[in-house]
Amino acid sequence: MVHMTTTVTTPADADAVRFDAVTKSYGDVRAVDGLSLTLRPGETVALLGPNGAGKSTTLDLLLGLKRPDSGTVGVFGTGPREAIAAGRVGAMLQSGGLMDEVSVRELVRLACALHPRPYRVHDVLAHAGITQLADRRVDKLSGGQEQRVRFALATAGANDIIVLDEPTTGMDVSARQAFWATMREQADQGRAVLFATHYLEEADAIADRVLVLHRGRLLADGTAAEIKARAGARKVSFDLDELRAGDGGAAAGLRRLPFVTALDVSGHTVRLQSADADATVHALYGLGLYPRNLEVADLGLEQAFVAITAAEEAKAA
Amino acid sequence: MTGPRPAPTAGTTTTTRATGTTPAPATTYATTTTYATTTTHATTTTDTGMTTNTGTTTARPTSARNPGTAAAGLSSLALVKLEIRRTLRNRKFLFFSVLFPALLFLITAGGENDGATVPDSGLSVPAYLMVSMASFGALTAVLMGNSERIARERESGWVRQLRLTSLPGRGYVLAKTASAAVISLPSILVVLAAGGLLKGVRLDAWQWLALTGAIWAGSLCFAALGVAVGYLANGDTARPLAMILYFTLSVLGGLWMPATTFPHWLQTLGAWLPTHAYAGLGRAIELGGAPHAKDVVLLVAYFALFAAGAAWLYRKDTLKA
Ligand SMILES: Nc1ncnc2c1ncn2[C@@H]1O[C@H](COP(=O)(O)OP(=O)(O)O)[C@@H](O)[C@H]1O
Ligand SMILES: [Mg+2]
Repeated sequence: MVHMTTTVTTPADADAVRFDAVTKSYGDVRAVDGLSLTLRPGETVALLGPNGAGKSTTLDLLLGLKRPDSGTVGVFGTGPREAIAAGRVGAMLQSGGLMDEVSVRELVRLACALHPRPYRVHDVLAHAGITQLADRRVDKLSGGQEQRVRFALATAGANDIIVLDEPTTGMDVSARQAFWATMREQADQGRAVLFATHYLEEADAIADRVLVLHRGRLLADGTAAEIKARAGARKVSFDLDELRAGDGGAAAGLRRLPFVTALDVSGHTVRLQSADADATVHALYGLGLYPRNLEVADLGLEQAFVAITAAEEAKAA
Repeated sequence: MTGPRPAPTAGTTTTTRATGTTPAPATTYATTTTYATTTTHATTTTDTGMTTNTGTTTARPTSARNPGTAAAGLSSLALVKLEIRRTLRNRKFLFFSVLFPALLFLITAGGENDGATVPDSGLSVPAYLMVSMASFGALTAVLMGNSERIARERESGWVRQLRLTSLPGRGYVLAKTASAAVISLPSILVVLAAGGLLKGVRLDAWQWLALTGAIWAGSLCFAALGVAVGYLANGDTARPLAMILYFTLSVLGGLWMPATTFPHWLQTLGAWLPTHAYAGLGRAIELGGAPHAKDVVLLVAYFALFAAGAAWLYRKDTLKA
């Protein structure tokens, strides 16, 4: 059972969001570079990338706040402005200022009045967890409280997609968890959710699908697991008695192992990352070495992400 | 309650969630009935404030609303109302736009039966200054509040935030202008009341009405200027810029004192300012006639200029954002 049951209707044939070869530059900087992507209704998608990757620009283009230099952006089969005017899009910007000198309730009431298919003010306040703040003045809120008010504004009515630009910035861990619990309710009602983040664990835990953005281009598109697989990297660790014995040949042998992308030797403990852990371990035995306490494990998404972007940068250089 | 999804484990490639609950038919939004919900609140609030909802929810239709043009107008109205409410809450602003012109008038207008007249105007000092100060108050209300606020709200991102709502693009500027127009009315009425009740200014009923209407309508010219300044300047420069315009227009246009004490060239310059024409509207009415055509034409021309400038700056700002 969900908090706000609504008639969220979606034309069956329309993609929620569609970018076709979209480019946007600021002077010499190509913030978005030939980006093509499609989001289906109801998907929860993370837009993952480091600072400056072009996440905010991508979302601004989606919301019609910026216009592409070339290419087209469609939202539910229309332009972004039309979709917003029809109340189909709720959005929370990275730096969305609020009207000052008004109370939280007044601001939420305004958001409801502006929405073509509004919820009740009372419910919106409760849902965003700001009922107790309703009579406070908006300009007297803490950063985290302001963020919740922005969330309330983004969910004042029955939207079909919710767009969030790094929504949990400045929240502590428990606030972040509570925020995503609320967000999941939205997703579970069949709403598409698209959020930008550079918290990789967030993308991993929340999203059905992760789009990795780097220098304005789509680097990877898949589930969090697929992205880890695409990076192909696993971590391998073991102890080598030969190293304790000061065997220079063993150390040299380690450096010749195939598929190794990172190597760290401390004392007799070896930690490495490999694009093909099976082949690496096979070669290790082939050197006549006898690793003890051998462990092979997946990289976290964080490291997978670093590996993908590093590979991309190596290609670009 | 849809429980939390299981935390994905490393290597799991399937993430399942029911997304097929969306009703299939493509409904036209213009006629969709909205459902607001009542929630039986069994809501647990974490100490960080986000709620985890454990209540039961029932949907029930509320009155249908359609997002057509009528509703777009209605939604602008919601913003106008909120803008007015918050301005009326701002004591400093109310002091400068309502009380200050009235006090200035009471102090400078002299005793009611002094019989002093303003040279070349055919008006008594209180009657002359009443129009000056009512016009000045309206000018303060429409120029000073909006210019700085628009500049600040553009900078803070509130204007961007509003562009993510169904409010039509021009709604923000229209709401600002409309609320300024409403706020300028008390500035005018308080000075006129002071003139009639405390300073013995005697006019026919139609003159009081016409005076109020003319000064009020004329203030739209400066409301457009206020919007233009708000889009021209940033949050820090808007106030000084508006101040300079405000003092120049008030003093040289003859709102504070008759311009007759100025050097001739300055008087000539002042005669072409919108504020001069603005005060001229009210003075002509006090003398029992209609506003001079020259004043009306000048004000309309300035209004067109300021409105075009504001529209151009607005469009530039919207494209850049
Ligand atoms: N208004 C702007 N003017 C000039 N450069 C900009 C502007 N906004 C963003 N950029 C540049 O575009 C790139 C992408 O920025 P952005 O979309 O904000 O990335 P992200 O949100 O992923 O951090 C960055 O290199 C940034 O410096
Ligand atoms: Mg960003």
